Amino acid sequence: MNMKRIFALAFAVLMVLALAACGTRDNDKMANGSGNGSAMTDEPKTAEEALTLHTELLEREKAILSENTELWEKVFMETDKGMAMIEDEKNYGDFLLGTVEDAKEQFTDKEYEWLKESTTEISDIENKVAELEEKYPEIMQKSMDGDMSMPAGSDTSTPPDDGSMQKFPAFEGKDLDGNTVKSDELFSGNAVTVVNFWFTTCNPCVGELSDLDALNRELAEKGGGLIGINSFTLDGNETAIAEAKDVLAKKGATYQNVYFDSDGEAGMFTMSINAYPTTYVVDRSGNIVGDPIVGAITEKKQAETLQKLIDQTIAADMA
Amino acid sequence: MGKKFSGVSQTMSRFRGWIQAGATLLTNLHLPNFLKGGLYQGAGKTVCVPGLNCYSCPAASGACPIGAFQAVVGSSKFSFSYYITGFLILLGVLLGRFICGFLCPFGWFQELLHKIPTKKLSTKKLKPLTYLKYAVLLVMVFLLPAFLVNDVGMGDPFFCKYLCPQGVLEGAIPLSLANAGIRAALGKLFTWKFSILLSVIVLSVLFYRPFCKWLCPLGAFYALFNKVSLFQMKVDENKCISCGKCARACKMDVDVTKTPNHTECIRCGMCIRACPTNAVSFRYGFGNGKEAPKKTTMEESK
Amino acid sequence: MSHGKKAAAQVTLLLAGAAMLCFGVWRGEAAMVLSKAIKLCLECVGIG
Repeated sequence: MNMKRIFALAFAVLMVLALAACGTRDNDKMANGSGNGSAMTDEPKTAEEALTLHTELLEREKAILSENTELWEKVFMETDKGMAMIEDEKNYGDFLLGTVEDAKEQFTDKEYEWLKESTTEISDIENKVAELEEKYPEIMQKSMDGDMSMPAGSDTSTPPDDGSMQKFPAFEGKDLDGNTVKSDELFSGNAVTVVNFWFTTCNPCVGELSDLDALNRELAEKGGGLIGINSFTLDGNETAIAEAKDVLAKKGATYQNVYFDSDGEAGMFTMSINAYPTTYVVDRSGNIVGDPIVGAITEKKQAETLQKLIDQTIAADMA
Repeated sequence: MGKKFSGVSQTMSRFRGWIQAGATLLTNLHLPNFLKGGLYQGAGKTVCVPGLNCYSCPAASGACPIGAFQAVVGSSKFSFSYYITGFLILLGVLLGRFICGFLCPFGWFQELLHKIPTKKLSTKKLKPLTYLKYAVLLVMVFLLPAFLVNDVGMGDPFFCKYLCPQGVLEGAIPLSLANAGIRAALGKLFTWKFSILLSVIVLSVLFYRPFCKWLCPLGAFYALFNKVSLFQMKVDENKCISCGKCARACKMDVDVTKTPNHTECIRCGMCIRACPTNAVSFRYGFGNGKEAPKKTTMEESK
Repeated sequence: MSHGKKAAAQVTLLLAGAAMLCFGVWRGEAAMVLSKAIKLCLECVGIG
């Protein structure tokens, strides 16, 4: 009787341990390369291995950055104030750590602890990545390519929101002056591309044009860009283009405005939008980041959401 | 003949609720859009519907005349809309405020709310407020959108933006339920307009059609045409026994025996049903039908 | 208002209404109404 009970108890403990073990292993897999994880310590023997490790490290960094978005948002806000930084060679983790230290009083003790830990880890990752890149220069390119061809949805750690990545529909169109614009070239040339959908007789859309122009200038300094898509100008409607140009000129907006055929992928996409203005944030690989922002960015709420998405995209791009 | 039409009048007013329901459905035919969270984008939206019905309602089959008027007037190209004004004059002459009583979805909405059993209050003493709607029509629908413009000559649709409760009821609420992006965009303006909607709802329970009486610019426009509308009220003086039941039954505070085509009359026909001698009826036709009785009968048969 | 006068006013208004409507369509107002009505008016529903 007693034996049976002891056995049952032991068995139960064993089961719990087994489950726990499963759990830990899963966790390890998810948080690959975390502090004491293997990725940090293992030395790659071949370029192949170096590439995997490299990717893993970057993944881990992105995971950290998307883990506590609100808190990071605070940090990014601080970095915006003292934007002088980010020279290419400087370690991004150290930079963040510096920012966190500077703005120490803004965080609770707990937040500060977490941030310090995370930024230190990012710093370590960055060092390791730099080391790898130095040893195996070829992985730089390969890892970039890998990023680009990553199938949608497989990369669940990157997006700041829960959803899987959605590609911005590809297009080949023209700007209002007739220059050819290709979506893949446009997106890959920018760390972040803000795409604003508007139409000429939409009052809130026209109201935000000058703000968008200012944002475009600001983004250009950070390696990003902004384009407008006027739904009236699709298919190259000449009257509509002239009217759009007129309004843009009156509002002093100089950024690129693009049109394409309405029956293409991007054309259908545009026609399916029925709330104007709507603004999308697109990353270097052409993925839509977060949810589209409905309403003019002249409103505080919309402006904040947009800034947050931009910062996240730039941060993820630098990682 | 006259008797027959009075029978039609009785039936029409008796089944008014169903006609209102039918009109609301026809005005908002694209019901699946409520689930999709998008709008109907077909050519039907070129034409206005007769009642106050937001064109940003997912199901809306046409444009709202008031919204469309402001859209045209507020654009940089035009500062007056002949298209909408012409359309409204036609409707005003053809139907007048019959539209309010029978076809307007927002009127029906207020009436349904009024069916909630509570203590009901009279609006007779608030008569001066009925002139407010003309000010709304002139200032918020026409003057401000047309002349208070930004640097590119565009004006805000003031009535839609700051006052219209129908936009929140039909547009903002269903769309924000179905569409996360729109939900995220709701701001201060929504709070303001939602409070207006709430006030109208509460007032509608206590008073009969408060929005129609005091604020509706569309009702104001049709009211101006009530006197010349082909659709009119007729009181047969030979049958009338001056009992005053019709005036007491009227929830729009009109005495049909004195002013059959009063600006406030929405042709709901409550007086027709209240009349013990069938002296009150609808009449449809040119003129006022008083000069030549023979002619009147002929026109009634149309 | 006499019967005849009222009828005349009604006919005049109907004609005027029809004429205004046609003029409005001719100068492109109907197309503008369509282009606005198929898109969600954010201000109208209380956004922005």
